[in-house]
Amino acid sequence: MPDLKHLARRLPGKGALRGALRRAFLFLAIIGPGLITASADNDAPGIATYSMAGSRYGYAFLWVLLWITLGEALVQEMAARMGTVTGKGLTDLIREKYGLRLTVVVMLCLLVANLGTTAAQFAGVASSAELFGVTRYIGVPIVAGLVWLLVTRGTYRVVEKVLLAISLYAVAYIASAFMAKPDWGQVLRSAIVPQLQGGRDYMLALLATVGTTITPWAAVYMQASVADRRTPKERYGETRLDVVFGAAIGNVVSAFIVICTAATLHPLGIAVETAEEAAMALAPAAGAWAQTLFGIGLMGASLLAVSVLPLATTYALCEAFGWERGLDHKPSEAPIFYGLYIGILVLSAALVLIPGIRLFPLMWLSQVANAVLLPVILLLMLQLANSKRIMRSWRNGALQNTLVSLLAVAVVVATVVMITSGQAAG
Amino acid sequence: MGAYLSQVLRNRVESSLGEPIGRCLDVLALDRAQGPLPLAALLIENEAGDELLVPTDQIERVTPKIVLKTAPPPAYSLRGGEVRLARDILDRQIVDVEGRRLVRVNDLRLNPLGPSQQLYVTGAAVGTVSLLRRLGLQRPVEGALKLVGRRLAEQVIPWDVVAAVEPDQPIRLRVARDKIRQIDPVDIADLVAQMDGPSGLALLESLDDETAADAMQEIPDELQESMLSAMSVERAADVLEEMDPDDAADLLGALEEEHRSTLLEAMETEDSVQVEKLLAYPEDTAGGIMTTEFTTIPQGMTAGQALAYLRTSPQAQEDETLYNVHVVAPNGRLHGVISLRDLVMADPEAAVDAIIEKQPITVGVLTQQREVARLVAKYDLIELPVVDDDGVLHGIVTVDDAIDAIIPTAWKKRIPRMY
Repeated sequence: MPDLKHLARRLPGKGALRGALRRAFLFLAIIGPGLITASADNDAPGIATYSMAGSRYGYAFLWVLLWITLGEALVQEMAARMGTVTGKGLTDLIREKYGLRLTVVVMLCLLVANLGTTAAQFAGVASSAELFGVTRYIGVPIVAGLVWLLVTRGTYRVVEKVLLAISLYAVAYIASAFMAKPDWGQVLRSAIVPQLQGGRDYMLALLATVGTTITPWAAVYMQASVADRRTPKERYGETRLDVVFGAAIGNVVSAFIVICTAATLHPLGIAVETAEEAAMALAPAAGAWAQTLFGIGLMGASLLAVSVLPLATTYALCEAFGWERGLDHKPSEAPIFYGLYIGILVLSAALVLIPGIRLFPLMWLSQVANAVLLPVILLLMLQLANSKRIMRSWRNGALQNTLVSLLAVAVVVATVVMITSGQAAG
Repeated sequence: MGAYLSQVLRNRVESSLGEPIGRCLDVLALDRAQGPLPLAALLIENEAGDELLVPTDQIERVTPKIVLKTAPPPAYSLRGGEVRLARDILDRQIVDVEGRRLVRVNDLRLNPLGPSQQLYVTGAAVGTVSLLRRLGLQRPVEGALKLVGRRLAEQVIPWDVVAAVEPDQPIRLRVARDKIRQIDPVDIADLVAQMDGPSGLALLESLDDETAADAMQEIPDELQESMLSAMSVERAADVLEEMDPDDAADLLGALEEEHRSTLLEAMETEDSVQVEKLLAYPEDTAGGIMTTEFTTIPQGMTAGQALAYLRTSPQAQEDETLYNVHVVAPNGRLHGVISLRDLVMADPEAAVDAIIEKQPITVGVLTQQREVARLVAKYDLIELPVVDDDGVLHGIVTVDDAIDAIIPTAWKKRIPRMY
């Protein structure tokens, strides 16, 4: 991406057209990483969750996304700032400040959350395979084996670009939403005016949406990648812009998935439970090809996530506990690293293959698990981002502290309500 | 009284009269650019919640509680440049020279060094054992592993390879290699020699057999004996197998008869036979100092055939230096010697017989070590074949073993190592 910026600077500055070109290059340079984050937001469990929420609650769910976008921006900004200031990952800071025992707790949370999310990606693979008439008992093992090969053989970098391109299919939701001709006035009103409901199912949908957008894993990943880039603190402004853009764009796509399903499925009284139902939301744009488009897109998004997530989880765990890690080691030199990686891959794939398990509910329930574990990470992040010793003059502002604390409290309250309210309310 | 930092932190502190003083919050050490860090003071929190510093030379012992030598203890005044072990070093990432992430400081090894028995940070524990110890799970896990016949080894990075500690930075190693196992055995040996017995042993036990063997060969003889005696029989045998046969024989020769035969029995037959052969010769003769790791080729080959033969020869595989190649007649007699250099440079079609040194200088198995040394010095030899009365080749004496007799040990270390 920096190449683009250099290119932009070298372009002659005279003339309106050239000026506009320059601005366009600068813009592209900034939103590049943002687009990547955006497609990561809309992985298989993301699509399942937004489809479920939009089809079940209609436009009335849109306002939630607005607040979640704010939450995501605030949390990711904190992570990015800590990465820039300290040059260290979140796990580094937790281990160094809180010691080993708490690190074990946090890493267990992360492991459970990521195991669930990886299983959800495999559920996406299974759903997509079954849309094309391939049983999951064949599709999932093949994909797991393929991922292992891609990642260990190092050919992954090439494939990543293809997958990234495929997962941009989520843009089809934007087209589909416009062609479904929703009542835009109502859409806008719903996006701004909060309409809170009670009941177990609503809380579940709420938590799943939070969990798929603001994940412990995303914060860990953001901080690690920012720390690795070693951008000087003086240029933190650019990083912040990137983070906020990423959150905004990702959630615009999410919002269109909700609008799409709300406009097409909700009026028909269909609450998405399967891939076939979810694919119907693309019908206004793709017509008879809706299932094919949805199937390919879902596969691409799932493959992308399932190639990255187990590996990144293994890296985080090995770094936290100081085990030798890295694909440049042989398995005999880094047994724990490879053991963990295979363990996560196999366990999450096996979860999907349990006979009779329902794939779409598995996808959003994994995101609920992410949300429930989120406050643990938020609490630690807040403490770290306010530590004078670690952050010096880069500590959190009072407003950010209040809002992130509110987010954590809201998640805890929603969890308590979900657990205590009866099934009947849904 | 070596200990790990995790076994010291949060311990109660008492004066020499048994009065409670407080709890140990952290340990201060003086930062040094190189080598083990001397401990300076204990940071103690008393019952009123105040923090006080007590110099570490006041420590009588550290576990299970810290007992001081005086009552009340004097206060330590900061000199500047102290690091806090728990806050500044424990749990940090360890990176290599190029900043690549390696492992993490799970614990710190503290050992008394030198005549004053001053406590130093001598190493960083990085293995899974140290993780388990801090979580209080070491005993149960080790117990469970023992049932299936396996054990975990402590992994310690000697502090000698750690560069100066910088605030808020990862701990940087001075070695360029990404594998900490590859730290020079000489450095490890120096460290083992400086540590008290149990700590040195713990360090040796943390190494794989080959590295432990290499390190063993570098530590002083008396220490070798005590280390070997303290190891389990199986481990000791494994290490002996990896040592050069002549060093292994020297070491075994110094042990009590009973202990020696137990160890020889536990060794692989192939290795023990070699060592036993060497043990038969008096220590100060060519037979006593020779090694049985040497490389031979049969008579009648061309240079090209000889090189091809060496590539697949198990003897050549074992021979760590492979300086000279010995041509042996079918009856085992030494026919001639050729350096590997000459063999490589020769025309591949040339007969080896035509280019070898047919009358090499040799010594008998019972030739005195001093005489061997004299010959090596006189003829500028790197190694010297040892033959019996029938001219059968039994071993070679390498220059380093030959000069042991005439150069004091302290000088030997300054001579560049050829072997």
